Amino acid sequence: MSASPAVNGQFQHAGSSTLYRAVATFADNGQLIIRNSDNDTALTEATPADYRFGSVIPGLAVELQLRDGAIFVPDNPRFRWPQLSGTAKTAARLESHKLSILAAVVLSPLLLWWIIVDLMPMLASAAVPLVPDSVKQQMGQQTFYTLQQTALQPTELTPAQQAAVQYHWQMALQKLPLEYNSYKLHLYKSDFFGANAFALPDGTVVITDELVTLLKDKPDAILAVLLHEIGHVEGQHSVRLIAQSLGAALVFGILFGDPEGIADLLLGSGSVMLQSAFSRDMEREADKFAVEQLKALGKSPSAFADAMSALLSERSTDDQGSSTLLKYLSTHPDTRERIEQARQHDPP
Amino acid sequence: MENTLDTSVPQPAQARISKVAFSGQASEFFGIWIVNLLLSIVTLGIYSAWAKVRTNQYFYGHTRIENQPFRYLATPVQILKGRIIAVIIFALFFIASSLSPLLAVVLALLFLPASPWLIVQSLKFNMRMTSYRNVRFAFHGDYAGAFKYFVLLPVLALFTFYLAMPWVLKKIDRYMCSNTSFGGQKMQINTDTSSYYIAVLVAMAAVMGVITVMIIIGAVLVGVMAATGAANVGVATVLITAAVFVMYFFAFALSAAIYHSMIRNHIFERTELPGIAKFKSEMQVMPYLWLTVTNLLAIIFSLGLAYPWAKIRKAAYLASVTTIAVYPQADSLVDQVQQSSSAFGEEAAGLFDIDVSLA
Repeated sequence: MSASPAVNGQFQHAGSSTLYRAVATFADNGQLIIRNSDNDTALTEATPADYRFGSVIPGLAVELQLRDGAIFVPDNPRFRWPQLSGTAKTAARLESHKLSILAAVVLSPLLLWWIIVDLMPMLASAAVPLVPDSVKQQMGQQTFYTLQQTALQPTELTPAQQAAVQYHWQMALQKLPLEYNSYKLHLYKSDFFGANAFALPDGTVVITDELVTLLKDKPDAILAVLLHEIGHVEGQHSVRLIAQSLGAALVFGILFGDPEGIADLLLGSGSVMLQSAFSRDMEREADKFAVEQLKALGKSPSAFADAMSALLSERSTDDQGSSTLLKYLSTHPDTRERIEQARQHDPP
Repeated sequence: MENTLDTSVPQPAQARISKVAFSGQASEFFGIWIVNLLLSIVTLGIYSAWAKVRTNQYFYGHTRIENQPFRYLATPVQILKGRIIAVIIFALFFIASSLSPLLAVVLALLFLPASPWLIVQSLKFNMRMTSYRNVRFAFHGDYAGAFKYFVLLPVLALFTFYLAMPWVLKKIDRYMCSNTSFGGQKMQINTDTSSYYIAVLVAMAAVMGVITVMIIIGAVLVGVMAATGAANVGVATVLITAAVFVMYFFAFALSAAIYHSMIRNHIFERTELPGIAKFKSEMQVMPYLWLTVTNLLAIIFSLGLAYPWAKIRKAAYLASVTTIAVYPQADSLVDQVQQSSSAFGEEAAGLFDIDVSLA
């Protein structure tokens, strides 16, 4: 009467820890019959609608689950029920087939690399225009306020020096076709930042007294620095960096969310390096913007290289060339590399 | 305590002593892991819910007591729902903290009262999805308890400069164990506060020891460099950075190994499922430290490919140091609650019958 062969295994009623040695057979119409193999009494019967098969996992027996919560587990872990559909076995087949494993070993890192390096920045750029200006203004104002309270002091430059910087600033704003229109330049003295300049997402640009003094003989270099900062705002780099870092954090969280013990820390340092890499990309973008706009204003792109050289010679006292390890933790590209890049644009 | 379980306490019936057996294979799990990883990447993370279920099914199914495996019952869709919610919460936090520190504080304050609920939800879900011999585990904690042990006490411990933290950790472990049941029978736990203080003190002393040794070695090296005139500032900076990094990892691994071994052994010793089972854990610090450090190194130097091997190895070790005494009553347990519901989960599960978790 039974079309399929009898399967030996163990049976348990719903929510019951009592084990029965049992035999499962199927009638022609798919009716499941489970009998106790010790005394050959019936344990249960079920129509095809009332039983189903558990997941097929390599190395484990496939259990037979009944609607009421009873289970039957074959003794042989390699046994696969003839009724199992092809799709039910697909995952396990892929997981134990040499070819698919090899393909996964090769493709997983490549795809992961592509997602982080190409897809994330692309999606981030696409998402940035969706961020309303009011959000960027909030971001800028809050950060600016915090910095004013902590790291910035009123400028001590002479009115003439201030006017010279403002002149370059106004010239850049008036002559360049900029997309964003609420730029504001501030001069501050800062012991914390030293010779530096930075831009906030709302168009606030700050250049420090120390940097203006450092570049006082090279007016075009100051212009180049200001253009670099405008490049950050035009490229909406703050918002893009947030979007990219969020994307990367989610990718790692979902794919490797359950790391082995202290490998957790390792993933943490990995994401710091990744964020630094994103940041370096944006610095290069802003450098490129500055060089292009210098040309548009009829200035020599080497002005940017001059600014970088001045910064480099000022810092070289405490920076003995960047080692390979520290390079990956830096938020900015190597300064010599940036000078090289700018010089390449020099007219021969 | 070197007593074996069957002689330490008078028992109503003869218990059967058996080691927990783990039969997972690194080579087999490697295939499962890497194929699931690829499928998760290709499906932009959606398949990761299926991957988690299959991985858990593999590990539960290969963990056996008296030749009977554990079972993981969650369905991928339940995991997926929990992940989607977790992703939204995580993204909101991330964006808020990047946009404005103020907004982040406001969100954190809103999240604080919600976190005990999420913890209880997660414990309930994971316990209910764990079954042994077709009988499920369950978690009975409620919001008030979780708020007290996961929020209130840790915050209060802050005001004692963390001097009360070991006691708080004891309370948390106790809360989780005593609210866990198997087949309707709650666990009984009787842990000592002193054991937690000893574990924390030993772990801290070990970390201090490591730091002292490293400082001495560092001082000697600097002395040698200065004496030989080989002092190159750039090289020294890199060396010191690397040394601090290595020391940090090692101190972390060492203190974790000490605390985990001592506390796990203590909890298992003092916990029982009355009439059903007693537990024993015999973890040792050095083998466990060796395991975690070599696992980490293998993962680093294989660029992550040794992860499945490390995971299998850890599960096998933890099983090998765990002994269970099973009483005959365990053979005839009946869980009434479980019998009344359908195993296919077709009756509408609650919207929040999920574990809100990224991992």
